[in-house]
Amino acid sequence: MSNTPLDLLKLNLDERVYVKLRGARSIMGTLQAFDSHCNIVLSDCIETKYLLVDGILQNEERESEMLFIRGDSVTLITTPEEE
Amino acid sequence: MSFFGFDPTAQQHARPQQQQQQQRQQQQQQQQPLDFEETYKGYGDYEPEEEDFLNDETFGNNVELGNNFDFGHSQQQQQQQQPAAAVAAAHVTHRSYVAAAASGTSQQAHMDAAVDLRPMESLWNPNAAPAHAGQAAAGEQVEQQPRVLSMEEIERNQRQMQMHPPPLPPQGYPAVQGYPMPPGNFMPPPGQNYPMMAPPQQQQQFQQQMRPVFNQPNYMGYPGNAPPPHQQQPQQQQQQPQQQMVPPQMQMPPQQQMQQAPPHEQKIAPQVAVPQMARSSSSLSQSSNERENFKSHQRQSHQRQPRNREPLTPEEQKRLEVRHAKVEKILKHSGLMTPRDKDFITRYQLSQIVTEDPYNEDFYFQVYKIIQRGGVVGESNKGLIARAYLEHSGHRLGGRYKRADIALQRMQSQVEKAVTVAKERPLRKQEKEQSRENSNNEGSNSAGSSTTGQSNDNRDGVLGKISSSLNSKAPRRQLQIPTSNKTLLNSLLVNDEHATATKPTNPDALMEVTESLGNVELSQKARVRRRSSYAFTSVDQSSVLSRSGGRKFVLSLIETVYEEVLELEANLRSGKPIDNKNLWDALHINDELYEVCPFISMLSFDKGVKIMPRIFNFLEKDQKLKLLQTFFSELSHLNIIIISSYKTNPEPTEFQLKQIDVFQTVFLKIIVSFLSSSSNFIEIMGLLLHLIKNNNVSFISTSKIGLNLITVLISRAALIRQDTNRNNMLSSPEISTWNEIYDKLFTALESKLAAVFPPKEYIQKVNSVHLKGHATPSASPQHYDQAYIWQFLASLALSGKLNHQRIIIDEVRDQIFGTITEAEQLKENAKTPNESDDDLVYRREKLYQDLNLFLNVMGLVSRDGEISELK
Repeated sequence: MSNTPLDLLKLNLDERVYVKLRGARSIMGTLQAFDSHCNIVLSDCIETKYLLVDGILQNEERESEMLFIRGDSVTLITTPEEE
Repeated sequence: MSFFGFDPTAQQHARPQQQQQQQRQQQQQQQQPLDFEETYKGYGDYEPEEEDFLNDETFGNNVELGNNFDFGHSQQQQQQQQPAAAVAAAHVTHRSYVAAAASGTSQQAHMDAAVDLRPMESLWNPNAAPAHAGQAAAGEQVEQQPRVLSMEEIERNQRQMQMHPPPLPPQGYPAVQGYPMPPGNFMPPPGQNYPMMAPPQQQQQFQQQMRPVFNQPNYMGYPGNAPPPHQQQPQQQQQQPQQQMVPPQMQMPPQQQMQQAPPHEQKIAPQVAVPQMARSSSSLSQSSNERENFKSHQRQSHQRQPRNREPLTPEEQKRLEVRHAKVEKILKHSGLMTPRDKDFITRYQLSQIVTEDPYNEDFYFQVYKIIQRGGVVGESNKGLIARAYLEHSGHRLGGRYKRADIALQRMQSQVEKAVTVAKERPLRKQEKEQSRENSNNEGSNSAGSSTTGQSNDNRDGVLGKISSSLNSKAPRRQLQIPTSNKTLLNSLLVNDEHATATKPTNPDALMEVTESLGNVELSQKARVRRRSSYAFTSVDQSSVLSRSGGRKFVLSLIETVYEEVLELEANLRSGKPIDNKNLWDALHINDELYEVCPFISMLSFDKGVKIMPRIFNFLEKDQKLKLLQTFFSELSHLNIIIISSYKTNPEPTEFQLKQIDVFQTVFLKIIVSFLSSSSNFIEIMGLLLHLIKNNNVSFISTSKIGLNLITVLISRAALIRQDTNRNNMLSSPEISTWNEIYDKLFTALESKLAAVFPPKEYIQKVNSVHLKGHATPSASPQHYDQAYIWQFLASLALSGKLNHQRIIIDEVRDQIFGTITEAEQLKENAKTPNESDDDLVYRREKLYQDLNLFLNVMGLVSRDGEISELK
């Protein structure tokens, strides 16, 4: 079954995943689809954007129903910690 | 190749029936081998039996074998029969009754005419025309024009004259009533291609007779005859006057017709031979003469009857033909069925389409109706169809009209049904008691008086089970003889081996149930499970997953299951054979390797739940049963139970509530449909036992899903019990087993019944989460649907005895009064104009409705803050 790395991703279809992106962003959402380029479709997403304002780390959150994420910005995909 | 000396070459040519007898005798003389062609297919080849000497008369001596008797008076048949009949009339000696029956009384009339009324036949019946005339005509070159007035019409005319009164029109045939046409006076639509043509010879004769008549100027003096011929179509012209000549005669009263007939005949008789002669010498001049005549006639008729002048256009003719064909079709089998027969069949057909659930069962009709209602002709109504479809089934909540057909509602109706049946029960018993007393008093039934009520009940259904409800869902069944019942009893008395030999399934299942019943306290494995669920080790989902192989393993199992299901579905579509072995293996139902069955862990994931209906499509019944047994055994480990219990999850998230909803809609629906469609009483008992034996029932009852599952089981069992009570299908061991199981269930729940009601904090939490989910806070904070709890209590009380019911009431007394107070509170609130009245009234009604579901079981009802006895 799990022969390739992407097969691991397949197991998490329809599950919540945590996706780390370039540019200090991360998205949590339900994995709907993916392909070999790590292009990802997520639903019910919470996007977090980290900002450094005057040397203090702040974050902005944004919710969206469905997102397409281009694979070249993905740096990490994992299962989220328990909410 | 030949079998048994059969020589296929000998019978290459077909022989007429009459000759076969002779040939067979010849063959016998020649000592030929037995000819199967002759003996097998040729039914008529047997030696004439003594009692059969009238067969020829009855069935006709030249009737083709293998023809079914045609009940309709088809025109074809008449056509076939008439030449034969005509020959028969000539020879007079033999006449088949079949032929007579087929052509109706017309043949009889014809016979009479031929024998008794010879002067008339030359006028009316071309068949009976003198033989020499026919022979002379045969040689002639007469146009084979489709004749307008057919044999039948002439004969009917005669019949009308001779057989007075005319036969009644077919009884109870509404289709014909609109068509003013008694059968005896049937007027054919005029047409060149009139389908019912007499054989050519007859036709010729007829034309010969009619033509002179027509040419006779005097004849034209008849009132209302003679439509105009048309110049461009001489042949047609010639036909039309003839055809229209007839109606006035037909419409005349028969007596008058009789009086008029003789002069006719006198006039015509001398004319018959003349035109023949003339024509044989010069047919051209003849026809031109006729044309002259037509012209003059046309002028005459034009003056007299302008309305008849227009010749029929081809369209009109065609239309008339079509109409005629229709009428013939209708008349063909008319009168075969009495109105009562028709009524019976109509009722029978209607009874098949009666349904209690029109929106579900007549779904396509409902959509069709909507499309029809709003449809504009010619316009593309795809949008309309889509909308109609969506309104009925598209939305997840059951269409626009909120006919949510989710499992919960099915379950609700199941419980309600059980309650109503329970309400009716005492009444019926009373009636029975009364009737028994009556019979005893009369003393007519000594055997009945000696039997107790119990044994009297036992005899119910001995001769088969009688289904009480007849509709499309439960059509009348064949006799159901309760054999399993008796073998079950026997097998319990006799030893096991014998039992398994005679009735393999049921006794075994019961044995298993009863055995495991005894082991409820002893089972070591169960103890471990119980302890584990007492300790709430299953609360942590990851620990459950790790005990069933790990999260990754379970997820990969789900993927495998999806793949298998997809493959099976593909096979189903392409018509390939379906083998669910791989799927079954992937489910790991029987897997003993893990502490928690992987299948249970699969249900922790939404996608694992969602695939279940599709899995169920491919499982055999015993596989489904096994799956459900595993499910109920390990209910405590089920993640959804833990999520939906207020004890383990006092603050559910929106996501978790969604999960609960999904599980309820998907999985509960499967269980309900399985239980109600294909499971029997023992299987339900087994499932319940699995649940009681291996789980902490009082914990499960604190979760909404768990309570729903228990409700489904016991309400279904109660329903079966009530249903079979009437027909006494349950054996006493079954009943005692059920009582034992129920006692165990009740003991597990006793003193904790109040705990099925979630605390206020939990309700508030759930409501607040719900509120957060909705953009418009339409529901008030206290609005929490407790119907499922009352349903559970209702079905629990339903199966219990009086003392059980007393305990239940004692324990939930506070909740009952709490609900009533709440309802009354709503009434108070309704007086203040703050909240919308409709909503409050609705919620108040709902509270009472739910509460009464439970109270009705005990024969109570609560209204307006009071609890009273149910009338």
